[in-house]
Amino acid sequence: MIDPPQMTEDEFRRLAEFLYRRTGMVFTESKRYYVERRVWERIDATSSSSFSIYFAYLRSEVRDEVEQLINAFTVNETYFYREDHQLACLTTDLLRERVATKRPGDPIRIWSAPCSTGEEPYSIAIWLLENWKDVDTYDIEIVGSDIDTRVLEAATEGIFGKRALMRLSSEVIARYFHELDDERWQILDDLRQSVRFSRVNLVETKETRPQGRFDVIFCRNVLIYFDDESRRVAAENLYENLLPGGYICLGHTESMSRISPLFEICRYSEAIVYRRPEELRRAR
Amino acid sequence: MPLIRNTTPTAEPHALDERKPAELLATGSDEERWIAVRNAAETPEALSLLTRALSVERVPRVREAMFTALAKIATPESASVALPYLRSEDAGLRTQALDALRAMPASAAEHLSGLLDDSDPDVRLLACEIARALPTDDASRVLGELLESETNSNVCSAAIEVLAETGDAASLPILARCAARFSDDPFLAFAVKTASGRIGSSER
Repeated sequence: MIDPPQMTEDEFRRLAEFLYRRTGMVFTESKRYYVERRVWERIDATSSSSFSIYFAYLRSEVRDEVEQLINAFTVNETYFYREDHQLACLTTDLLRERVATKRPGDPIRIWSAPCSTGEEPYSIAIWLLENWKDVDTYDIEIVGSDIDTRVLEAATEGIFGKRALMRLSSEVIARYFHELDDERWQILDDLRQSVRFSRVNLVETKETRPQGRFDVIFCRNVLIYFDDESRRVAAENLYENLLPGGYICLGHTESMSRISPLFEICRYSEAIVYRRPEELRRAR
Repeated sequence: MPLIRNTTPTAEPHALDERKPAELLATGSDEERWIAVRNAAETPEALSLLTRALSVERVPRVREAMFTALAKIATPESASVALPYLRSEDAGLRTQALDALRAMPASAAEHLSGLLDDSDPDVRLLACEIARALPTDDASRVLGELLESETNSNVCSAAIEVLAETGDAASLPILARCAARFSDDPFLAFAVKTASGRIGSSER
């Protein structure tokens, strides 16, 4: 057993700068303890005898080590109301701005990509029903997409365990789920049928274009896994899938600034999000 | 329930245009050129189209798509289309070219030795960033060689910044010699100290 790494300030900065460049993830000094714990797990898992050896291994990108480290950071677990500060931002800021130029009855389109087993798109639906006073005023369409057809089948079925529901109050669970047994709850049919699911690879333009244009896209914790070229293509696809002035929400450690200059950064009290600029007529 | 499920096929954001990519790139609107560029990457004539269009394009987002198309093609030839823009007077264009080259590291690496030997120090400086994408040992070797003879302190600073990430114990004496050659440059002394600290800290 090797000793836990005592990351120096220099080591932390070396790693943080690499991760920012390679993945777009931002880790400030305040996250040092969190980062140290994850790096320690990976140093142990790769039998590296020092930070230096592990860092060289990480840079060499053998055996998907960057992906392994990202997995350690992002906690590959999804549940209802995860990162709900972004959902709060959706109703307090983003939709307020989106509807400024819409009329009652106009569509509002929201895309969750990747949606995994459906927790995110259903969370968006429930959050809007619970928290947005204008929810009856517009036609709200929610689409969930993922590259994995197996998770899409599960999402369509809409059956979840206790752990996925841990952030929801018993009242909300009672309103939007019916209990199948002691361990499983299913989204009510009305709500289940209001979300459309589709298979989409975010780097395939011919798959993203048919999804149409959206007011808001949730694209959390996926771009960090792509290499630079795929990330550029995905960012351009997402840009095309946004209406001018539409918003994109990334994971809390992700930064679009590293990925693409196409979007404007928008700082709200609950979250930092990115926006496709309104189109201007410019001379070529 | 106010939520709706749209089961009808959604219109694509961009319907297919019957005009040829070359025509769209020459005469189309910003949006039409953007779409033409994004579609062009898949076509056999992509390189010639992009080479010509990039030389006249002025809208940053359309240029961005052109550089992405070059990165997607990812050959030494597509890298060579981006290379001249490293010399642009427009900082935004230089950055776009650099980002595209970094997104096709293997193709850009084919040109790296020439870039590091370029007579223009600004090009050598940007080449240091391209070197960052090389495997650790290769990056440290080419940048170490550069540092032993480089006369421009800004280029040295750029190389040192990359070595702070890629370097190992063998880089430390090279950094020390560089600092000694530029002993009257306080920023370079600071850069060497920082890089050596990071490398030394990791090597302990």
